[in-house]
Amino acid sequence: MSRVGRISAEARAAWYAFVRRRTAVFFTFFFPVIIVSIFGVLVQTDPAGGGLFAEPPGYYIAGYIAVVVLFTPLSRVGSEVARHREGNRFEKLATTPLSRAEWLFAQTLVNVAVIGLASLLILALVVVATDAAFVASPLIVPYVAFGVALFCGFGALLGRLADSQDGVIAASNGVAIPLLFLSETFVTPDLLPAWFLPLVNVSPLTYFARGLRAATYGPTNAASAGRVGLVGTDPYLNLALLVALATVFFVAGAYALPRTD
Amino acid sequence: MVVNAENVSRRYGETVALSDVSFSVPEGEIFAIIGPNGAGKTTLIRALTGTTDAEGDVSVFGRPPRAVARRRLGLLPQEFTPADRLTARELVTYYAGLYDETRDPDAVIEDVGLTDSAGTFYEDLSGGQKRRACVGTALVNEPDLLILDEPTTGIDPTGRRELWRLIEGLSDDGTTVLLTTHYMDEAETLADRVGLLADGKLVALGSPEELIARHGGESRLVIEVDDEGRAETAIAAAGYERLPGERGVAVPAGPKEIPPIVEALEADGVDYEGLVWRQPSLEDVYVTLTGSDVPTAEGAT
Repeated sequence: MSRVGRISAEARAAWYAFVRRRTAVFFTFFFPVIIVSIFGVLVQTDPAGGGLFAEPPGYYIAGYIAVVVLFTPLSRVGSEVARHREGNRFEKLATTPLSRAEWLFAQTLVNVAVIGLASLLILALVVVATDAAFVASPLIVPYVAFGVALFCGFGALLGRLADSQDGVIAASNGVAIPLLFLSETFVTPDLLPAWFLPLVNVSPLTYFARGLRAATYGPTNAASAGRVGLVGTDPYLNLALLVALATVFFVAGAYALPRTD
Repeated sequence: MVVNAENVSRRYGETVALSDVSFSVPEGEIFAIIGPNGAGKTTLIRALTGTTDAEGDVSVFGRPPRAVARRRLGLLPQEFTPADRLTARELVTYYAGLYDETRDPDAVIEDVGLTDSAGTFYEDLSGGQKRRACVGTALVNEPDLLILDEPTTGIDPTGRRELWRLIEGLSDDGTTVLLTTHYMDEAETLADRVGLLADGKLVALGSPEELIARHGGESRLVIEVDDEGRAETAIAAAGYERLPGERGVAVPAGPKEIPPIVEALEADGVDYEGLVWRQPSLEDVYVTLTGSDVPTAEGAT
């Protein structure tokens, strides 16, 4: 019970800290709107009959959600770690019963809630703005939750390594942008050189996008559009791998949180 | 002993932050650590809370710092900046939520004098109010050992005195208090014992009275004057020698020696602006042992 109380207290404080920053709230939800608007329009125009954005609209739903699952936790948790470090908050927390894992779990819960809302917004926009074929699979929920957990752990690692909030933002952009475009989100594998394809399978975001696409767009279509990779296109196997990766990143991120100077 | 430190040392590369610091703090005592900026005060606090890896032996309640039951500790770090979009009440309530048993956050808010500002966001509080809210976060779990790293920095004189009364009250109730301060009057008023750190070494340890008797020197008359050279010449002619390290022209003097000094100044036509007679204080101990001026609030870190 006390652990639940500690996590609740931390999550409540983190939630207030987020929702009271109007700029952060606005851009957190404006970001997916922009993404869907731009890519949705591009996808619908299908400019060259091939190449970029030439797949059917439903193909890109996993990519849209991947954008917020990747960027927001990575930068938010990384920045929060930097803020905590700069304000000597970890020094104080080290003398309270709140453990590092509990702190990161509370931050993850807040991010799951925020990204969950952003994902709902994306799905609503996709339905309204495009003619995407879309399966409302319940697997979306665990995919978003564990995807967020993974990148919260990653964000904690960046927060540990970067020495300031500016450093975290720069590092998270440096990590997120290549990951986003090289993880079967918007760029299909057939557009990449053959030698690069093994690297796609190294990206944890690949399993998020590949599995979520299989769940929301259909395994057959996903299989024809994407590479088979380590665990094929089965949404459950990809989810299992995502859970394993999320666990690894979460544990590493919690361990990396500063405890001493 | 609540706190026991033996030969505690800490280096950051070539820089020696702490060097063989040893002291202990019994239950219920208010122990103040004073020293110039960079003397190692905050590093010592971190060694005692286990938030830095120091050499030597540190025990708190008989255990290594990181093994101490967290509910027994209350810490206010130096330059602590909590979430700025929480109100003062929410901030204290948040820290209360990290413990199983705590005081009523509103009672803590009242204790630190923030009842009227309890609903104000931290970022909108004044500097002194912010520090008081932070002190509140260290009190909310009713700690047995309260560690305060410069608790009254930025707080106005009235607020400081209110916090002193609060800290004294906690001590009277059995709470052990370990604090750092750059206000000598704070250490002299509050502390049962004082440790003076300089260049990472504990150069003096004892009650304020003991330290003053040992290192404070004599009582003195301070002459506030524009032309210090002329005043120095006048008092030298009367057989008095100027004390170094004082603002103004200071002369070792008891109360009975004030009239002859004044006569010497007036006989020489020295136009002084004021005369202040005072007994030695902890500030004199500080200046004598560290060779530096007492830091101002603005210049302190």
